[in-house]
Amino acid sequence: MAPVLTPDLREEAERIKARYPRERSAIMPLLYLVQSVEGHISREGLREVAELLGITTAETEAVATFYTMFRKGPTGKHLISVCTNLSCKLRGGGELYEDAKQALGPGCEGVTEDGMFTLHEEECLGACETAPVVQVNFANYDNATPELVAEIAAKLRAGEQSPSPSRGELPADLRAASRLLAGLEPEEVAT
Amino acid sequence: MTDFPRIITARWTEPYLPVSLERYLETGGYAGLLKALAMQPGEVIETVKESGLRGRGGAGFPTGTKWSFVPQDTGKPTYVVVNFDESEPGTSNNRELVEHDPHQLIEGAAIAAYAVGCHTVFIYCRGEFLYPGAVLTRALREAYEGGFLGSRIAGSDYDLDMVMHRGAGAYICGEETAQLESLEGFRGQPRLRPPFPAIEGLYASPTVINNVETLSNVPHIIERGSKWFTSIGTEKSPGTKMFTVSGKVQRPGNFEAPMGTTARVLIEELAGGVLGGKALKAWTPGGSSTPLLTDAHIDLPMDFEDVMDAGSLLGTAALMIMDESDCVVDATLRMSRFYAHESCGKCTTCREGSWWITRILERIEGGFGRDEDLDLLDNVAGNQLFKGFCALVDGAVSPVASSLQYFRDEYAEHVRLGGCPFRPAPVPAEVGA
Amino acid sequence: MSETVTLTIDGKEVTVPKGTLVIRAAEQLGVEIPRFCDHPLLDPAGACRQCLVEVEGQHKMLTSCTATVTDGMVVKTQNTSEEARSSQVANLEFLLLNHPLDCPVCDRGGECPLQDQALEFGPGRSRFIEAKRTYPKPISLSPLVALDRERCVLCARCTRFCDEISGDRQIELFDRGAEQQVAIAQGEEFDSPFSGNTIQICPVGALTATTYRFAARPFDIKHVDTTCAHCASGCSIRVDARRNKIVRVLARDDDEVNEAWICDKGRFAFRSPDAENRLTTPLLRGKGMEPVSFGEAFEWIARELEGKKVGFLTGGRLRNEDYYALSKLARTVFKTNDLEGSVPVDPWTQGWAAAGGDGVTYEDVDSAPVIVVVGLDTEQESPILHLRIRKAASRGAKVFVVHPRRTRLWDVAEHVGCRPGGEVSALTGHAGVERSLTETASGRAVVLAGTQLPVTLGGSVAVWAGAAHVRKFAGDHAARFALAPRRANDMGAIRAGVSSSILPGGRPIWDADGRAEVEAAWGAVPVEKEDTAPPGGFRFTSAARILARAADRDIDALYLVGVDVLRDFPNAALAAKALENVRYLIVQDTHRTELELYADVMLPAAAHAEVDGHITDWEGRDRRVRPIRGPIGSSRPDWEIFAGLAETMGATLGFATLDELRGEMAGLMSPRKEGFPPGEPRGPETPSHGLTLFTYPLLVDEGRLSEGADELKEAQEQPAFVELHPDDATEAGVEDGAMARIRTEAGEATLPARVTDGIAKGAVFVPFNNPGLQANTLLSGSFTTPVEIEAAEPAAPAPSAEEGEA
Repeated sequence: MAPVLTPDLREEAERIKARYPRERSAIMPLLYLVQSVEGHISREGLREVAELLGITTAETEAVATFYTMFRKGPTGKHLISVCTNLSCKLRGGGELYEDAKQALGPGCEGVTEDGMFTLHEEECLGACETAPVVQVNFANYDNATPELVAEIAAKLRAGEQSPSPSRGELPADLRAASRLLAGLEPEEVAT
Repeated sequence: MTDFPRIITARWTEPYLPVSLERYLETGGYAGLLKALAMQPGEVIETVKESGLRGRGGAGFPTGTKWSFVPQDTGKPTYVVVNFDESEPGTSNNRELVEHDPHQLIEGAAIAAYAVGCHTVFIYCRGEFLYPGAVLTRALREAYEGGFLGSRIAGSDYDLDMVMHRGAGAYICGEETAQLESLEGFRGQPRLRPPFPAIEGLYASPTVINNVETLSNVPHIIERGSKWFTSIGTEKSPGTKMFTVSGKVQRPGNFEAPMGTTARVLIEELAGGVLGGKALKAWTPGGSSTPLLTDAHIDLPMDFEDVMDAGSLLGTAALMIMDESDCVVDATLRMSRFYAHESCGKCTTCREGSWWITRILERIEGGFGRDEDLDLLDNVAGNQLFKGFCALVDGAVSPVASSLQYFRDEYAEHVRLGGCPFRPAPVPAEVGA
Repeated sequence: MSETVTLTIDGKEVTVPKGTLVIRAAEQLGVEIPRFCDHPLLDPAGACRQCLVEVEGQHKMLTSCTATVTDGMVVKTQNTSEEARSSQVANLEFLLLNHPLDCPVCDRGGECPLQDQALEFGPGRSRFIEAKRTYPKPISLSPLVALDRERCVLCARCTRFCDEISGDRQIELFDRGAEQQVAIAQGEEFDSPFSGNTIQICPVGALTATTYRFAARPFDIKHVDTTCAHCASGCSIRVDARRNKIVRVLARDDDEVNEAWICDKGRFAFRSPDAENRLTTPLLRGKGMEPVSFGEAFEWIARELEGKKVGFLTGGRLRNEDYYALSKLARTVFKTNDLEGSVPVDPWTQGWAAAGGDGVTYEDVDSAPVIVVVGLDTEQESPILHLRIRKAASRGAKVFVVHPRRTRLWDVAEHVGCRPGGEVSALTGHAGVERSLTETASGRAVVLAGTQLPVTLGGSVAVWAGAAHVRKFAGDHAARFALAPRRANDMGAIRAGVSSSILPGGRPIWDADGRAEVEAAWGAVPVEKEDTAPPGGFRFTSAARILARAADRDIDALYLVGVDVLRDFPNAALAAKALENVRYLIVQDTHRTELELYADVMLPAAAHAEVDGHITDWEGRDRRVRPIRGPIGSSRPDWEIFAGLAETMGATLGFATLDELRGEMAGLMSPRKEGFPPGEPRGPETPSHGLTLFTYPLLVDEGRLSEGADELKEAQEQPAFVELHPDDATEAGVEDGAMARIRTEAGEATLPARVTDGIAKGAVFVPFNNPGLQANTLLSGSFTTPVEIEAAEPAAPAPSAEEGEA
């Protein structure tokens, strides 16, 4: 089996480790790094992170399974998160989740048949003043509507330009977002 | 409409764009840091102490006092950790503070670091905050380029680095010791205290953990002095506070207002009143972890003391507004699901108790409630309160105990009807289906 | 002198050292606060919340397992506080929500802390009416450990043990909240040699032993407290038997020795006494190896060996009493000093150790600021000593390991790699060791050496001298030295005088005074040499020399007691030749082995689990051995066989009971300190070129005492392999995982290669006795030998196409 992390990525992994006084601190960015390659984190990915840090696979998996943003199973190309916590629920988040389910299609709570989407019911995303909130690959859409979600789904499915998030850029997919979360790309934002 | 002083939101623009270093400097930015660097670290701590600034993350602990706990003779490095893991339901002001004015946070964190003798600051940025994190990362780069971070910052002989660390989806990591565990590369489960982080925190070294809003106030306090700061807000809760008003209001938003501003002003004036002119029914004063209050509390001054006197907590000053058409049982169920989902699993009280309470609430809301369930809920919540490892479980108890306190009849109605009275057609109970 | 704190618990005052946890202070008053996650040897967790107590002045209940005492503290437990009591009841209700009521089929039933507490003060009736959380059950963590997750109360004792004690972090808590569970990485196994401890400390039936699942109930087992026979750690154990058959071994708490832990070999290798090949009756060659009575066997021996030259060899598995009887038998009945055990260490160091050595104990290791381990793979050779070293390290001790392989102390120690035979020069030349020892207060640092430690002298590897050099080095640095023998009672053997040159109590045979003391109890002791002072010509005997003389027919008979020289002696060819050539062979053992092919008489010895006695651990501490049952068949304790034989030979050992034996022995056991100067060992050299093979037994191997431990072997035994450094592999053209052929003066073998930088350059390791290789077939008397290595063709010969070229 080919390794998940190529020599180039291993160099990046070493740079990530160098951010911290103790290298174990790098486990979360390294898991994001693996997710940026695989679109989720496989067993092999866990093993490689463990090896990079000199810890056991079990220690790595213990961390990976604690945090919801590390996808342990097959995941769609795009991750759609709908907040249904109270602020959003009071403004239609619950219904929006059901609408999103319709828009994304069968299997979306796992992976849609075309492999494009995974729908995730989110806890509070810290954007309560813009409720209800939807994130696509962790980019926020404020005051989201069923129509907006349907449009995003359709555009992404067709490979067309999707509506822009309320702030910042829409990462090309979950992999791209994971790469940003690993802290690797220069993060350009308009000022 | 009431006109409040804007301190930490002064640079906010509409539509909002992050404040660049250039604009930050033009508008007086980094003056606080320069002033602090000319002071002795002890004087900086003293100034913050005198200002009476209290932590904005929920507990309200005096910030200067927290800094003064850090020993300077351990031979170990000292760390400052910026808690940007904002995840208390209903709370979104830290995010907006950073999205608008990232340098204000960097400046505050730099002053804190200087005060406690720290040379490496870690920013624990909530994982889901992809964009705010990007704003902050860019600002950090600007600060390095502008000489406000790195070696010999701002012409001083003081070196300071700031490192971004992204979380990955765990509410508990907002708890400071869980955050340190997470930052060290472990599961974000809280640690025993003592030792307290000020003595043995990150990498078993002295550590100060401060919230984004708290640190955002610091440059202003240093620049304008503690007296100025104490002139705002109340005697015991000086300064302004960021209030997030969300849910059933006309204009949800993050509002800066002096400590002690009443809920009425926040809800009716700043947020434009309850949506659709409906009646206010229930609200959280400080996020879902604080006991619910009702329309009877509308004139409550929002500061640490007054909210506590009313039987709740200021928490993160996040007001989630429910109107007369909202089901309190359903809302409580949603909040309980959150706590069950976010329980770290370490202690029995939280792991099992929150899971059980959620099951009971699901039954009641789903039409399978029994008369004895009300007492049961009350009792189970009581068995949880103050008995868990950390405060997460106490937060989980808040909505359950307070909703039973104020809306017991509504629970009884659910049981009596065999379903939720707020749903168009309650599904009749089918026992044994 | 530590500071103390006085507090009140349930109205009673107690004074305890500062820093004591409330739950421990309560124990001192006999107040038992319920608990699950608390374990005295693990860091406080505060996870299960069962031990809540009320503390005056605190608005919250405190977990007594995390709260430390303060002066004047007033604690009310469940006995005096209604709130504490009700909190504990409520917590138990939480724990029982998702706990299945399968006690009747759970192995823990009847000895389960959760069951006990639920019965004692549980809510009786559950208010929980929803469906319980369930998991597929059970999952196999290893061939030894099964996990029933739905029974787990998530106290994390098991994962904390792996984190804090063994360091083998193979099981962890996965997921979170109500889904949190103990788990292992997919596709991996819990193969820590300490895995069984997690089963024992599990407060419910979540972790169970596959060897004990559904095997017995607490009420139908009988048990005995005894000492483990698998290595020299001296662990206190409890052996459980059902219908006279051993079904389980548990660690017993013993703060001074094994604390609360044992290794998996000690726990799971318990079936050998019940193996089918147990020798249950004497066998006589003259009768076609048919069963005979002891009387007949003894008479045959007495008749045939009358006046003959007999050499005695034994291993390390007998009791002190047996060794004492053996020493006396050899010297007073057979009039010979040709008697050797299995410690390949020079007689000076043996005698010094037998006389008490530096008296290093576990506690000394625990509190040592510096520990230097030389030529010892602690995890594999003395697992509980290993755990103590880890504990010391976690408390801040600086640990050095001088070894050709990177041992399992790698994460807590500084490893000093070296070629086999180069340990001593690596030690003496290491600046870090030197500095650490110099900075340490006199007598506080501990230096430990294995007993197989070779040393290079005059260009060749010497068998005996390594330990002597290390002892000298330790003495020169004001550090305390201890020899860490491999076998359970190697130390007891040398103390009882199982050595050609040492009499009981560490008396050198060349020392007339010491000899006189022994002779006062025994009568004449043979002294075969006229020159009785070393080193001026006194010729020491060794096992090798005895075997060589047997092979040369220089002695008439070999009497092997609990030792299989074909397997254990580091020169298989010499051992075989000795057995073939020697005129008489007496074998006294617990099992029938291949020695039967050569033996004239086989004498059945009772197994360790069947005898009363003592063994002496590496510290020199006597440990009690007690029988769980009587000897099988007509087997007898070894000492009784010696005594019976002596009687038949018209002599007497002077004791007919164990008490008489012990009484006599005690009189000779007062340690003598003189007579074993450290000497001035010649300067060691660094072996410079070529590859050197070395070997030692791994913890789980084909050793006799592991017979029948199928689950243990499936879990932890590895097929034989050859391990070498990447540079050496490259030079030899050997690839990791491919077959390699190794060749020594004595023999050759083809084994899968493990190429790793966890071994020093120039060193080649093979396990001593794992499936696929008996490494003594490659050895010529030392556990270290020059070796050549090359890539081997795949085992299966290529078909006919190749033949034409041959």
